[in-house]
Amino acid sequence: MEIIGNLAHGFSVALSFTNLLFALIGALIGTAIGVLPGIGPVATISLLLPITFGQPATTAIIMLAGIYYGAQYGGSTTAILLNLPGEISSVVTTLEGYKMARNGRAGAALATSALASFFAGTVATILVAASGPLLTQVALSFGPADYFSLMLLGLIIAAVLAQGSVLKSICMVVLGVALGLVGTDVQTGQQRFTFGIPELSDGIGFVALAMGMFGIAEIILNLERPEARSVLRTKVGSLWLTREEFRRATPSVLRGTVVGSALGILPGGGAALASFGSYMMERKISRGRDKFGTGAIEGVAGPEAANNAAAQTSFIPLLTLGIPSNAVMALMVGALIIQGIQPGPRMVEAQPDLFWGLIASMWIGNVMLLIINLPMIGMWVKLLQVPYKYLYPSILAFCCIGVYSLNNNVFDVYMTVLFAVFGYMCSKLKMEPAPLLIGFVLGPMMEEHLRRAMLLSRGDPMVFLQRPISATMLGIGAVALLAMTLPNLRKGKETALAG
Amino acid sequence: MKINAKDLAASLFLMAVAVVGLWLNQDHALGSARRMGPGYMPMLVFWLEIFLAGMVLVLAFFNGPDPLVKWTGADIASVALGVAIGTVVWKLSPMLGTYFSQTYNGVGVGMLAGFLVITWATRWRLIGYICAAMCIFALLLEKGGLMLALIGTILAGVLAEPDHRKEPIGVLGITVFLLALCWWVFIKQLDIRVQVFPWS
Repeated sequence: MEIIGNLAHGFSVALSFTNLLFALIGALIGTAIGVLPGIGPVATISLLLPITFGQPATTAIIMLAGIYYGAQYGGSTTAILLNLPGEISSVVTTLEGYKMARNGRAGAALATSALASFFAGTVATILVAASGPLLTQVALSFGPADYFSLMLLGLIIAAVLAQGSVLKSICMVVLGVALGLVGTDVQTGQQRFTFGIPELSDGIGFVALAMGMFGIAEIILNLERPEARSVLRTKVGSLWLTREEFRRATPSVLRGTVVGSALGILPGGGAALASFGSYMMERKISRGRDKFGTGAIEGVAGPEAANNAAAQTSFIPLLTLGIPSNAVMALMVGALIIQGIQPGPRMVEAQPDLFWGLIASMWIGNVMLLIINLPMIGMWVKLLQVPYKYLYPSILAFCCIGVYSLNNNVFDVYMTVLFAVFGYMCSKLKMEPAPLLIGFVLGPMMEEHLRRAMLLSRGDPMVFLQRPISATMLGIGAVALLAMTLPNLRKGKETALAG
Repeated sequence: MKINAKDLAASLFLMAVAVVGLWLNQDHALGSARRMGPGYMPMLVFWLEIFLAGMVLVLAFFNGPDPLVKWTGADIASVALGVAIGTVVWKLSPMLGTYFSQTYNGVGVGMLAGFLVITWATRWRLIGYICAAMCIFALLLEKGGLMLALIGTILAGVLAEPDHRKEPIGVLGITVFLLALCWWVFIKQLDIRVQVFPWS
């Protein structure tokens, strides 16, 4: 069994002292962020990107991944205890989880959430390990035309599944691609859209863009809203599940894991979609469906398993194809590129430490989160009481130092300010920033593949339809777009992503 | 008429960006579909953007109403004034000292002035102070060191939240805490290359 050998290698990487330490730091920060309302995982990861640059690539990615699933876990804690979802993916957890807490079963809900996440995380880790090398083999047979179509499909799905209007999301994707054009043209060395500014010749800084649009703009928007903070009225109570609860939760966890793993792989998918999908399913088919709305444990177990499974399987397209399926993964691509690693199918062979180390660290991260969350729940509840007005100056300071330390150039700080203003404007005009980020990351790669494909086909655009893989991708993309013009489906999406 | 003003504004903004992009793209050789020059992809992208923004524009007349927040006279005036004063300060800043003719310090002080001016309108108070705080950081960092820059940023940043003005002790607490934290994380642990104190 090759996979066992590979995983053993991965564990030997992930269990090194530095990597363990950074996985723990990542998980701790991630949980803290998840618990604190008002800071999303995208903002946190862009905030902490500069801190990881001094580390080797493997350590950096392990830490960033730790933050990501830490945030998934932490978000459920506030959802259950305070009816406040820390992340979008834990919106559905508030529905049944908070009711359970009101019934005096907060401890049981938290334990269900932690155990379900742990189980799903374990399954998803194995899935990533098993499917990664297989998909990589497939990906190696991809030509430039196939890559281009695949990226196009990724962008379309990302736009279709984004909140709000599909058409505007596509506009944002295209705007992101346009921003990605700034800089030196790879093939001719000509400067494009740089206005003679030398700092722009490497392109617009990825960190400045992400920090401005997600970090700083979010501060301004959060401060605009009056602070909604409910006080913890319920006691956490016993963390142990009764035998009856355990029996009811188990099938939901299994179903949630399957749904989450499948939806996580989908381009544009991810934790939010997965948890909602699982909730809908449990409400329809689980045995406790008549108890929904009164604190059904199935409604906590399923979605919690699903969102954690999805958080992990969404690494599959990134690790095998180099294509980010959501905004968090776009940040991971950015981090890899800054480290000098081109994500893609060659990563398994060129960077086995990174590939297998990351997979092994996913599971280690899950174990850590179990320890961090259950026994230490009291500490996180305390952290909840920190008002946002004391929190935001820290975010501001970290953003400034982080973005400066990237190139030791104040230019990046000013760029961040401009993107903060732009991000604020986007939110006022209901233009989603997440598709823009994905377009920005994928744009330069798409141009490369487009040029190569057209050179090979001697300028014949039909090549995209003649190659079967490429044609399939374009077909799926077209269907996804057409489906969104159907009013019923659009309404379904709106209710699914409302929150 | 159910006009969606947000979509309308968004589409006009996107179109403007695309038109400017196409105009700038005239400098770049297009090449042919087979051998694409540096201008080919931008051309495709900007035309696609114009087409998509056009669709948003047409639909904006039917899928509303979603009005924009009404800007008061002070809102508009402060933005206009902010841009004007910011530009003037930027252009005149080299007269204040050689520091402002180096790197981006002149632009920075102009942006700072502009953001401080717009805080005059209640609507822009938050965005003005937060952005001004970042500009202060960039301006102070290389001359005054990290600690001074952080103090400036935090003090400007807390102005955004009116509660802070009533509790100087709290602000002092945040400042001291953050100075210690940033020193420990960035200087002690990560050892970033930056001047720490004004005198070092």
